[in-house]
Amino acid sequence: MEQISTLLRRTMPFQMVTPGLLSAIARFSKWQLFARGDVIYQVGDRPDDIYVISAGKVQHTLPASDGTSQPLEKTMLSGDVFGWAAVLDNQSGRLAETVCTERTEVLRIDGKKLLDLFAGTPDTGDVVMSRFATMITKEFNASSTVAAQVHHYPLSGPGAFTAAPKMPTGLTLTMFRASQWLKSPKPYLMLLGFTIFLGLWYLTVEVWKLPRFRDMPGLTVVVKELFSKDPIYGLSLYTPEYYEHIWVSVRRVAIAFLLATVLGVPLGLFLGWSRSFREYIFPLFETLRPIPILAWVPLAILMFSGSETPVIFLTFLASFFATGLNTMLGVESIDESYSRAAMCLGASKWQVFKEVVIPGAMPFIFTGLQISVGVAWFSLVAGEMVSGQFGLGYVINTSYTMVRYPTIVIGMITLGAVGYTTSAFVRLIGDYMMQWRVRELALGGR
Amino acid sequence: MTIASRLKKKIPSRAGLRATISLVVFLILWEAGARSKQWLGVSLPWIGMIPAPTAVLRVWAGLLNDRGYWQSWYLSLFRVLAGFIAAMVVGIPLGLLMAVSKNFNSISFPTFEILRPIPPLAWVPVAIIFWPTQELSIAFVTFLGAFFTVVINVVGGARAIDIRYFQSAQAMGSSQWDIFRRIVLPATLPSIVVGSSVGMGITWNVVVAAEMISGGGSQTGGSGGGLGFFIWNSYVGGSYEQIVVGMLSIGIAGYACSELLRSLGGYLTPWLKKR
Repeated sequence: MEQISTLLRRTMPFQMVTPGLLSAIARFSKWQLFARGDVIYQVGDRPDDIYVISAGKVQHTLPASDGTSQPLEKTMLSGDVFGWAAVLDNQSGRLAETVCTERTEVLRIDGKKLLDLFAGTPDTGDVVMSRFATMITKEFNASSTVAAQVHHYPLSGPGAFTAAPKMPTGLTLTMFRASQWLKSPKPYLMLLGFTIFLGLWYLTVEVWKLPRFRDMPGLTVVVKELFSKDPIYGLSLYTPEYYEHIWVSVRRVAIAFLLATVLGVPLGLFLGWSRSFREYIFPLFETLRPIPILAWVPLAILMFSGSETPVIFLTFLASFFATGLNTMLGVESIDESYSRAAMCLGASKWQVFKEVVIPGAMPFIFTGLQISVGVAWFSLVAGEMVSGQFGLGYVINTSYTMVRYPTIVIGMITLGAVGYTTSAFVRLIGDYMMQWRVRELALGGR
Repeated sequence: MTIASRLKKKIPSRAGLRATISLVVFLILWEAGARSKQWLGVSLPWIGMIPAPTAVLRVWAGLLNDRGYWQSWYLSLFRVLAGFIAAMVVGIPLGLLMAVSKNFNSISFPTFEILRPIPPLAWVPVAIIFWPTQELSIAFVTFLGAFFTVVINVVGGARAIDIRYFQSAQAMGSSQWDIFRRIVLPATLPSIVVGSSVGMGITWNVVVAAEMISGGGSQTGGSGGGLGFFIWNSYVGGSYEQIVVGMLSIGIAGYACSELLRSLGGYLTPWLKKR
């Protein structure tokens, strides 16, 4: 299939045809091998198929139409197409004789099915048919009456196809990509990787029971616990507490992250934009930043009462530094000539800020936000482990102290999944808000 | 050199002046806020709970002669370096292998990506169960903290190399080893440097947390559990000034490590010097 598509793609009339159409064509094509001297068809044979040469050479002879002039001869090589009579209207017989001059391999495409396919996709089909017409006229100097027999699908007016032109929709495109992905070795290697990882886990802990692994929660124990309706250790997909813990953690991260974004982005923008503001504030920022967030834990507990606010404060602090710093770097990375150009055109300072600084810093802001989400989860877990009443970090820590080891792993897996989802979500929003950048990267072929 | 320019050198730059102003203002506000109860009779929310900078300084000065305090420094630094170096030793070759071999990448990367979003601290209990000593379990969690960052950076750096470099090197008859030494290594070095300095920051974060959760737990003495435990112990013991001393100490230690790494990175990648 892959080979057929590749061959078709470099063949004249099929160039620039959508991958979907190519694979459709490939489905009703078949390989055929001819020896030297084989006659592929004679004049007057039934024109049913179109041929594409994969390897070899054929001699194509079109008898002179009036009997007096020389017959038209053409040698066709690999990559050429012949047998186009199959796409002519009302053509009952072959116009030329075709003989292989060496061992030849061809791809035989069912002409009728090809025409049906093109009838179904007039937007592409018409283009291919026009190319056929051009080829026939140009390469064989055939009379225009022959070329005119190639059926065109008028785009409007009487005889136009009623079917609306079909563009690949999101779903079909996704399906196509998924099918391509399934054809590549990637997913299978991926599965192999998971299998190796899970297999090692299973074997070391539960089968071989290696000395150091003896106390570790095993794979089957964890899986059984996770899917059990009546969990031994009290936490599974069926217990409401599980979702409550997730919800509490997500809520804390969300509050802290939003707060950090609302405060950190403007701060970063001003830090990057105004020099004197930066000279006053940045040293302070840089003095506090190297202090690990976790070192704030006791102070946070002292400063804020309860168990909820300190955890949110810690999470906020971590995200805030990441967001602020990245935003500032983003503003600094903007080429200064942009601001100058805007000023030359009479933009006010505020306009420069709004039209140049903010969009220019956007990619960095979103990188910062992604880092910030990751950091937020990191400090949330720490905060919850040290001072929490609920949440996933709390689950992990209490499971440890109460010797409910499988629950530790359930907590870890859940944390990983939730953490991944949130950062994917931030990335999605970023891509949505920076369409121009996504396109730029796509055009750059990256 | 004229007198004016000499004079100018004596006066600190505007940025330095402003930095000093901002820090001094910050310290004054902090002092005032912390002593609000003493001075105004009303305890301000939040900041009123924090010990004042002058009190912190007094406690700190006393601690400078304390062996336990310096022992905490040493322990934390040792754990950070152990985890960090292990992460570099394992992470760099793994990252390079992932970047070079497509199949290896397909096998290992998804598993890697599934483990990556799990915060290093969530590994703490597992590490404690698995490793025989506390020291090793902390070092393992520290290792995890830096490991993922280093690998991701190395893979990214090696992937970004222009393929034409390889082609031209091969065309000129370079051996595999030469290509590795003269193209792959210099090209990935900047990302290794970046990854390691980010990793270093994470390592300090992790070490503090791990020490708080597990580190000093079994140690009955007031010191000896590293700086993270120093802070936690100060909190439990109610000596709040020491908490701030601990925080500042870790800040200094972390900053010094990053700075050291940065200058080392600058020395290793001289071609990246700013114009």
